[in-house]
Amino acid sequence: MATTALKATARRLLAGGVCLAAAGLVAAPALAQSITVVREVDSDRYDPHRSTARAASEVLFMVADTLVSLDYDMQTVKPGLAERWEVSDDGKTYTFHLKDGVKFCDGKKMTAADVVYSLKRWIDPATKSPVAWRAGEVEDIVAVDDRTVEYRLKAPFSELLYQLTQSFAVVIDQATVEKLGGDFGVKGFNGTGPYCWVEWRPRNDLKLARNPDYNWGPPIYENTGPAQVEEIVWKIVPEENTRMAAVATGQSEITQYVPYSTLNTLRANPQLLVSQSDAAFWTYFAGFKIDREMVSEEAVRQAMVLAVDQDAIAENLYFGEVEPAHSYISQAALDWDKDLDDKLIRTDVEKAGKLLDEAGWKMESDGFRYKNGKKLSPVAYSFAGSTWQKLMEAMQGDLRKVGVDLDIQAFDATIAWGKMATQEFDVFGMSYPYISAGDALNLYFRSANTPTPNRMNWKDPETDELLDRGKAALDPETRAQAYGKVLEKVHQAAVWIPLYHEPMKLVQTKKLAPVKPHNIYGCGLYKGLDIKFQ
Amino acid sequence: MNATIEDVPQRRSAFRRLFRDGAALLALAVLAVIVAAALLAPWLAPHDPFATTRQPLLPPVWNEAGQWAFPFGTDGQGRDILSRLLYGSRLTLLMGLLSVAIGGGIGMVVGMLSAFYRRIDPFIMRVVDVLLSFPAILLGLAVAAIFGTGVTAIIIALAIATIPDVARVTRSAAVVVMGQDFMEAGRAIGLSDATLIRRYLALNCISSVFVFLTLRFGQVILIGAALSFLGLGAKPPSAELGMMAAQGRDFLFFAPHVATIPSLTIFLIVLCANMVGDALRDVLDPRLRR
Repeated sequence: MATTALKATARRLLAGGVCLAAAGLVAAPALAQSITVVREVDSDRYDPHRSTARAASEVLFMVADTLVSLDYDMQTVKPGLAERWEVSDDGKTYTFHLKDGVKFCDGKKMTAADVVYSLKRWIDPATKSPVAWRAGEVEDIVAVDDRTVEYRLKAPFSELLYQLTQSFAVVIDQATVEKLGGDFGVKGFNGTGPYCWVEWRPRNDLKLARNPDYNWGPPIYENTGPAQVEEIVWKIVPEENTRMAAVATGQSEITQYVPYSTLNTLRANPQLLVSQSDAAFWTYFAGFKIDREMVSEEAVRQAMVLAVDQDAIAENLYFGEVEPAHSYISQAALDWDKDLDDKLIRTDVEKAGKLLDEAGWKMESDGFRYKNGKKLSPVAYSFAGSTWQKLMEAMQGDLRKVGVDLDIQAFDATIAWGKMATQEFDVFGMSYPYISAGDALNLYFRSANTPTPNRMNWKDPETDELLDRGKAALDPETRAQAYGKVLEKVHQAAVWIPLYHEPMKLVQTKKLAPVKPHNIYGCGLYKGLDIKFQ
Repeated sequence: MNATIEDVPQRRSAFRRLFRDGAALLALAVLAVIVAAALLAPWLAPHDPFATTRQPLLPPVWNEAGQWAFPFGTDGQGRDILSRLLYGSRLTLLMGLLSVAIGGGIGMVVGMLSAFYRRIDPFIMRVVDVLLSFPAILLGLAVAAIFGTGVTAIIIALAIATIPDVARVTRSAAVVVMGQDFMEAGRAIGLSDATLIRRYLALNCISSVFVFLTLRFGQVILIGAALSFLGLGAKPPSAELGMMAAQGRDFLFFAPHVATIPSLTIFLIVLCANMVGDALRDVLDPRLRR
């Protein structure tokens, strides 16, 4: 009954849509359109240096530009605001040559001084940016002339160009920042992006309007000129089935936030197009706190990794829409070590049981394992909410089969982050976006990064040294080699249970030309320059 | 209106009247079946309720694609819904019963004390007023914040939420009993306060409290399921009806049975409990009898 009602509504809405479209055709040709993108959560603000949420980056990529851009392959750095750049032989000085004629949304000309201001604000301790480390160890950033910026580092940083493609490195207007103060990125914004900030109603919607003068788009797009729709409205719809209904009924033209369970239904809908990125750069994993008694033995951790059936999880919970993960980062990521492909731990319940037996954990009549009277029952901290609850339960089900009793404790997102910064759990669930092996490894496996994000307490001098070597590498081979060694180390020690890699999926109406999903920071629309009505 | 203690013949006829009420009898029978099924869950359940399989979201047998091995189909993790339902009703019923028993017991004592010792009456009743102003769900959230989530937290929350209502009902019944001559007489022959409360006050209040608790049982289960639905209840993998409904929410569009079967069970339990409670009130409340 509910379905018929829904279908009726859909039909009615569709009819309405057709009328509206017809009216639009009469009123104004070509560009008079607005599109609505539904998404799950809003950001607390849209200040590039103070917001690390994906929700913030989604908008920042559209309202502002970075010096360099990232191609769809997630490996090739392409021009952005800089038309070209040079790196000194010692890897410490990057010289960026800016494009001519770039203007802010308010019409002011953008110069090298604006770039310097933005990047310096990012690393200024007063800004308290949680992602300042991504800029590397900066000695100074100077404007040589109006169109040349010199980025000087204390030590080489092989990841720099990749980090500069992120939304934290966008160029913003100093006058606007100073005028708005704490309201910057809340009540207003001024960038050089293909879209301009119009109005934000927190937890409701954020309106962006086309920047008509834009012609400095990154070359990864066919269209590097002005955006091809008049207006983009980012609308918050927290309930996943409602978002699904919104794209199915045409209330939203495009979104990446629909439940996997409904993708097949949406694919069958002749008015919709579901597209997917080639690789996946968002990984879900469960990490072990390796200095906790219960999971301190490598064999126990390995057994738990062996017990979890990633293929079943991808199939059962995600309808085969995600890529089962056996590696900690995507095997398509920059600097992934191909030699590890055959060494990854794959599901093997029997071997898991054997390992536990050898480690002295004996199966008792209640179906669980004990050692010295202690039950093998690791405490797992997780986010409450359907995604993690389902994942944790699936893992729990798999671990039961080998006699491990996973004790799941789920917390609301507001307290979960704090809980996961403590030392009181054995396992934690987490997911994260990354560009490359270096990006992921430097974040999670540096001993300086305990207690978060290195919640595993992985403290290994050799890892630190290898990470430093990779970071300071002057050529890609040295870098790949150093990071490859770290990858091998951590995979061997079984510090994570990798669960799945999430590819970027976009659902869009066929009224729009096909939009190619990008993986950068999980923001599928990236700059939105290819969004247009057919 | 008074003297119900030694009135055995009348009580027997009360039960006869209860059995004459067809709807109530049916409700009682359904409830009995559910309780029996829940109690016998370990013997009745065809599968391990926690064992995951690689056949998720299997439809129930009345659908063409259903399998007799899983009569009610499987949930999102491939677990047998029938088995989970049996174990789930167990937990749900236990949750309802315990919280009503604990809350009812404490509430009754508080209500009787309040009626017996008039000096502390205003104080107790103001505390009860304060407690009454908290919605049960809010109480549940607060308790979960203190004790962590889990069945125990839910039972505590529901028991606390039950206390003020029961205290009120008990007090109003007890105040009437306190005005009776036999209480005065008991005091005159030197019975202690404890004996008076236990033997005369309590026994004369219990029928109205019992009726109230029967009705409350349904509400408590509903609120408990709601708390569980919000993720404050039973810890996975244990099955609980409200939690099962919550887990089925994601599949509502194409596998509605995962959410609807446990929801219907909750509905059935609550409906039956309320009908039985209603019928009990009809036969036990002397004022309605006339």
